Amino acid sequence: MQRSLNNSETLSGIIQKPQFSPYTDNGGTVIAVGGKGFVIIGCDSRLSSGYTINTRFQPKLFKLTPQTVLGSAGCWCDVLTFVRLIEARLKMYSYEHNKTMSTPATAQLVSIMLYYKRFFPYYVSNLVAGLDEEGNGVVYSYDPVGHCEQSTYCATGSSSAFIQPLLDNYVGKKNIANAEKGKLLTQEEALRVVNDAFVSATERNMYCGDSIILNIITEKGIEERVIPLRKD
Amino acid sequence: MFMTRSEYDRGVNTFSPEGRLFQVEYAIEAIKLGSTAIGIQTSEGVVLAVEKRVTSTLMVPATTEKIVEIDDHIGCACSGLMADSRTMVDRARVEAQNHWFLYNEKMSVESVTQAVSNLAIQFGDSDSDGNAMSRPFGVAILFAGVDSKGPQLYHMDPSGTYVQCDAKAIGSGCEGAQQALQEAYHRSMTMKEAIKCILTILKQVMEEKLNSTNVEVATITPGKGYHMFTKEEVEEAIKEIA
Amino acid sequence: MALLPDLPKGGFVFENFQRNEFLKAKGFRAPKATKTGTTIVGCLVKDGVILGADTRATSGSVIADKYSDKIHYMAKNIYCCGAGTAADTLYVTRMVSSNLELHRLNTNRVVPVICALRMLKQHLFRYQGYVSAALVLAGVDEDGAHLYSVTPHGSSDKLPFTTMGSGSLAAMAVFETRWKPNMTIEEGKKLVRDSVAAGIFNDLGSGNNIDMCIITRDGVDYMRPYEEANLKGQRLNSYVFDKGATPILTVHTIPLEVEEVMVRHMDETMDTSA
Repeated sequence: MQRSLNNSETLSGIIQKPQFSPYTDNGGTVIAVGGKGFVIIGCDSRLSSGYTINTRFQPKLFKLTPQTVLGSAGCWCDVLTFVRLIEARLKMYSYEHNKTMSTPATAQLVSIMLYYKRFFPYYVSNLVAGLDEEGNGVVYSYDPVGHCEQSTYCATGSSSAFIQPLLDNYVGKKNIANAEKGKLLTQEEALRVVNDAFVSATERNMYCGDSIILNIITEKGIEERVIPLRKD
Repeated sequence: MFMTRSEYDRGVNTFSPEGRLFQVEYAIEAIKLGSTAIGIQTSEGVVLAVEKRVTSTLMVPATTEKIVEIDDHIGCACSGLMADSRTMVDRARVEAQNHWFLYNEKMSVESVTQAVSNLAIQFGDSDSDGNAMSRPFGVAILFAGVDSKGPQLYHMDPSGTYVQCDAKAIGSGCEGAQQALQEAYHRSMTMKEAIKCILTILKQVMEEKLNSTNVEVATITPGKGYHMFTKEEVEEAIKEIA
Repeated sequence: MALLPDLPKGGFVFENFQRNEFLKAKGFRAPKATKTGTTIVGCLVKDGVILGADTRATSGSVIADKYSDKIHYMAKNIYCCGAGTAADTLYVTRMVSSNLELHRLNTNRVVPVICALRMLKQHLFRYQGYVSAALVLAGVDEDGAHLYSVTPHGSSDKLPFTTMGSGSLAAMAVFETRWKPNMTIEEGKKLVRDSVAAGIFNDLGSGNNIDMCIITRDGVDYMRPYEEANLKGQRLNSYVFDKGATPILTVHTIPLEVEEVMVRHMDETMDTSA
């Protein structure tokens, strides 16, 4: 006698449930390097899903305040939602407290907003770059649920595994016997290493490419630059 | 005139034909029954002083607390219905902590005052799911603190209105005290001078003789933050003005 | 004991299959095979057939090889492009290639392209798609130029133009708009270049250079690279380490003790006559 299979059963006897998959990875890489009186944050401009390129020019940097920039990569719809929410919170803050939010305060707010979604997180890799009270560059890096770490350089996103070791070595002087530790890069040095990091990552990561968008944050304001990368 | 009043002074949501909210005005009157509280802002910090009415020798003076800490960098002095003040102080503390939690920075004195004033004007608000008071709070508060703009002093009354002041007196002796402050205050005042000045004025407007049990003094400075004077420190300060 | 050791039997060894399934169930992840994300194309022209391929090989999202060779030699007159698992495309074509050579020696004639096709598809069909090689086979024999595509399951098509791999849709779009019968070799080269380039630029699994192979009755023109589709970005810094960058943790010296010195004198002069 034949027994009919119910919906959740298959012939192999494994119970398969329809999977809810709310996330997609749209790639993207963000790097930030800070120093005395400046911080540079850069992203690649490729937006992709799977093996296809959605667009070759999608900036992933968001100017939050005149001295704070958020770099965000990962699930692009989450990035858009998250950025809109944070922009709204920033506006509310400026109305309530009659001042623009400082970079450390913005960094804390980003952390809180990520942790607020602890059990349905935003699928994003964030970097906050800005100037501290003394006007020096600071970088805050996050995991998707709000863990926050302050530093002077960081890479995140699809190529972070390629770039972070380079930065640790070249910027952080890690594991170098006779290096001058804790010495900060000049703006020109930082620009060069960020450029090289993207050039090299593009060689080996298919989610990185098309162009680099740089934001150079100083007391004077934010300067934007675009540098082409290979497009394959 | 009396007739008009009795018709329009019941509900907190009803204006009189002359455009007045009597309940709010009565609440402001209630402050004048309260003990005197004075605050002076200087470039070095802010000083607060209040009179404590010890109505009975059997009362423990330390249990009446009219100057309280809101956060490390903010304190406040209250005059009026002390029970009402507890609610507002609680709100101020919650807001200050919440701000620190959200932004990892100290809340500005103005923002704390604004937050408490939001609570103060909620009276008669039937929409705020039963949390709102049915009458105005019967307290005036002096918020004193140090933030990114430096030492700050704010005065808030039961209507929720708040103003920044160089020096302010509230409570029963406020008229005389305010007059005295007007004459004594100058911008280059040091903290030491301010403490001396505040106690001198308080002494003038108090019915009882000034001593270390019937007065509370607190300072908020950039270095030490909120600091409530100990009995010894108060005695020392009183000695200075003797 | 046999005098001659047994030669290994042909085909795959499956003895670790159960162990690997067990490990997988326990959460041990098997290493990733390198895939040729790939755009491969083939196109018949008037005097022959042209094959084209990109040179990217990937492992997940990492580019494992930037200059992978995807146009495989089968016989003097036959070449084959491969897409899929890099090892599968390589070994399937190498195996068939050696069998084709044996076949040529046995029959003493130019092996027809259809022969290579049969060998490929019978092997692929036997392994039910588990040998993941998607191929574009092309060659010239007594009957003229031929072009075939072969799927990993062993089905095949004889076509005037074809594309395979993750960039096949991008490449096919170019063929569909511009292919026409009896193109000259120059026209064909341009079309194949543009077709592979479409894959390189629009498919993330394909990239780097364009390789091309033109097979005619007169011979083979194998161009690697035919073109560098992208210029490599320029780095601005030097990343050479200063001397002494590696810390010396401990130093242990083993002295060489000279116990005896021996000197041998060679009397004969070296013979340099040859």
